[in-house]
Amino acid sequence: MSTLFEISNPSYLLFPALLGTVILGLVCPLIGSYLILRKTVFLGLTLPQIAAAGVSFTFWLQQTGFLPQWQPGERGVGMIGSLLFTFLGMGLLGYMEQRSKGLAEGRLAAAYAFAGASTILFIVFNPAGQIEVLNLLKGEVIALSKGELRLLAAVFGLVLVGMLLFRREFLLTSFDRDLAFLLKGQQIIWDVLLYLLAGVSIAFGVIMAGPLLLFGFLVLPALAARPLVKSMGSFLWLSSALGLVMAFFGFYGSVRLDLPLGPTDVTLGCCLIFLAHLVQRISPRRALGLIFLSSFALWNYGCSATTPPAPLPEAKALHNETLWVAKVKNSTGLPLLLPATNPLRSLAEMAGKVSSDYRQSVMDLLRDDLRGELEQRGFRISLPEQTDARFPAFPADSGNGIRLAREGKLSGLIFVSEISRWEADSRQFVRVLADFKLLRTDDGAVLWERRIQRAVPTPSATNLGQAYTDSVKEVVRDLFAG
Amino acid sequence: MQLKLATDVMTSVRGGGLTDENLPLVSLRDVSLGYDSALVAESVNLAIYPSRLIGLAGPNGSGKTTLFRTILGLLSPLSGDVFRAYPLSNFGYVPQSAALDPIFPLSVREIVEMGAYGRVSSYQVLPSEEKRKAGEVLDQVGMRHLLTKSFFALSGGQKQRILIARALMVEPRIMILDEPLSGVDEDSRRSITDLLIKLTRKSGLAVFFSSHDLDMVQRVADQIVRVDNGKVWVEERIAGGPL
Repeated sequence: MSTLFEISNPSYLLFPALLGTVILGLVCPLIGSYLILRKTVFLGLTLPQIAAAGVSFTFWLQQTGFLPQWQPGERGVGMIGSLLFTFLGMGLLGYMEQRSKGLAEGRLAAAYAFAGASTILFIVFNPAGQIEVLNLLKGEVIALSKGELRLLAAVFGLVLVGMLLFRREFLLTSFDRDLAFLLKGQQIIWDVLLYLLAGVSIAFGVIMAGPLLLFGFLVLPALAARPLVKSMGSFLWLSSALGLVMAFFGFYGSVRLDLPLGPTDVTLGCCLIFLAHLVQRISPRRALGLIFLSSFALWNYGCSATTPPAPLPEAKALHNETLWVAKVKNSTGLPLLLPATNPLRSLAEMAGKVSSDYRQSVMDLLRDDLRGELEQRGFRISLPEQTDARFPAFPADSGNGIRLAREGKLSGLIFVSEISRWEADSRQFVRVLADFKLLRTDDGAVLWERRIQRAVPTPSATNLGQAYTDSVKEVVRDLFAG
Repeated sequence: MQLKLATDVMTSVRGGGLTDENLPLVSLRDVSLGYDSALVAESVNLAIYPSRLIGLAGPNGSGKTTLFRTILGLLSPLSGDVFRAYPLSNFGYVPQSAALDPIFPLSVREIVEMGAYGRVSSYQVLPSEEKRKAGEVLDQVGMRHLLTKSFFALSGGQKQRILIARALMVEPRIMILDEPLSGVDEDSRRSITDLLIKLTRKSGLAVFFSSHDLDMVQRVADQIVRVDNGKVWVEERIAGGPL
């Protein structure tokens, strides 16, 4: 569906999320480079986890009434917890570093385990909205609003300026503390400043992108850049450039293949490390060739125009055969029920068409809309359960769909639909993966098929039910467009 | 060669009037060296004058590095006083190259330019004047051709000379070198000692270097400071010695 050009268009629905990822990809590797060089990379793993514990802790406090409901919303509340816990964690780890004997790695490992456990416990304690808190902790950067993007840009812009401005001091303090002392005096100020910038980046990054993606951006680009460079300057800019590559192509892969962004980006980052070591081992000429070929292949794949979907055959062309519209199969593992407050349910109840314990689902809405659209296109519609109430939902797999139709003695055409994903992300859009097929029962031919795999915008939705309803309408419109 | 206590050297009148040459760059008076409560050496009295090549000899673990760190202000003396005629930014320090972490991807240029960091503000781009100076100090140590090379890919001797260039970049009054000849082949040892001699003779620098090789120190140094068993004392060459 999307080419590189499409996702780079500012009018693209997920453009703020792309920009947010790119900002993280640009700035985080600069911080991560120093964490790697200072051999404190485990701190880059532990601090995001501590920040995540702060997020779930603040939500728990708010849900239990210890904290008032606050205007800036979920992310604003989470951000306070994230910042607070990050700096408390840094202070405590720093204090223990000064006072304690024993392994620094051991302390970090224990802190990581404790923070991880606390995060889960605070979520479990939370009497409401476990899924919402979990989503927030997963760091759905994809749901970034324009206001949040502005905040992210401002914070990471300041971090970037700090990293560039004090690059010499950070390098000298990290590389040769004795010379740093002779030339610049007490280095503690530079240590504090570096960790302050790291702390701010981590605290904000966790709430915007989640611990996994943030840790990935911190260390993976820098690890990929390290074997390819001979100087600190090129190390920093290459880390940042690889962070950008990871952010952009990871985002593209996530959208195109409908994969979660964090794991996609992290996997791509690991591939970059592997590629970097491969490039380092071969001659510069071959390495250049390999880079050129990979870039060309990636660009070609990314920019290739996708074939427009074939339109649904006209009813006349199919000799006006009966079209059986099967129940929509739900393969998500989730009930996809509309909330009880859904006005559609109340209307149906009032009309006496449904029992009081009945709740409408996305599958019902989708079939109703499909039926209406197909009727408008001149198809003679029948429902399988009108002949036999035992008919289940038909799978989109044509073999099984045809078998089921023949067993139920349905002849003519059958329209099957299967939902693999229907997930509301912060009510701004719904991520959809669904398959639709038009089959002929006589010869088992697939006359038309279409897969919808996209984030469907639901900007006017104020609740989950409305988001589901709006997304169904948009999917049906998209399905028969063109 | 005559043996003197460090105190005598410090208080002895050297030459005629009180010119710059006669004022010590660093002097230690009744200094006790060590870490926390662990005493390494006590009653150290020492003075370092310009244009002198001073060797610090002693077995491994005798406290040579502790003495250097105290002179450089990296370690506070347990007792006594350390006087310095110039701020610490005028001290050129050459650490053991093995003490530097090879995980840092640093070019020779970046290593040498570090010497100028004390003179350049954070917001400033490194001035071209400093870049030119980096080339000059590399010329002094005969390593300009390695400017763009990776520092940690160089041989031990080359690394040591690059670190000397970095110390020269500081525009020092005194240079302190911690075991500059360890892990270095014979040819490099010779060229490094020649370089140190040249720096004291031509640039008027005081050069204070350490080594556990007493024979070598005796061969090249104007003045020898010995450290062993918690004591520090000075052996001074008779004027017009082998150098």
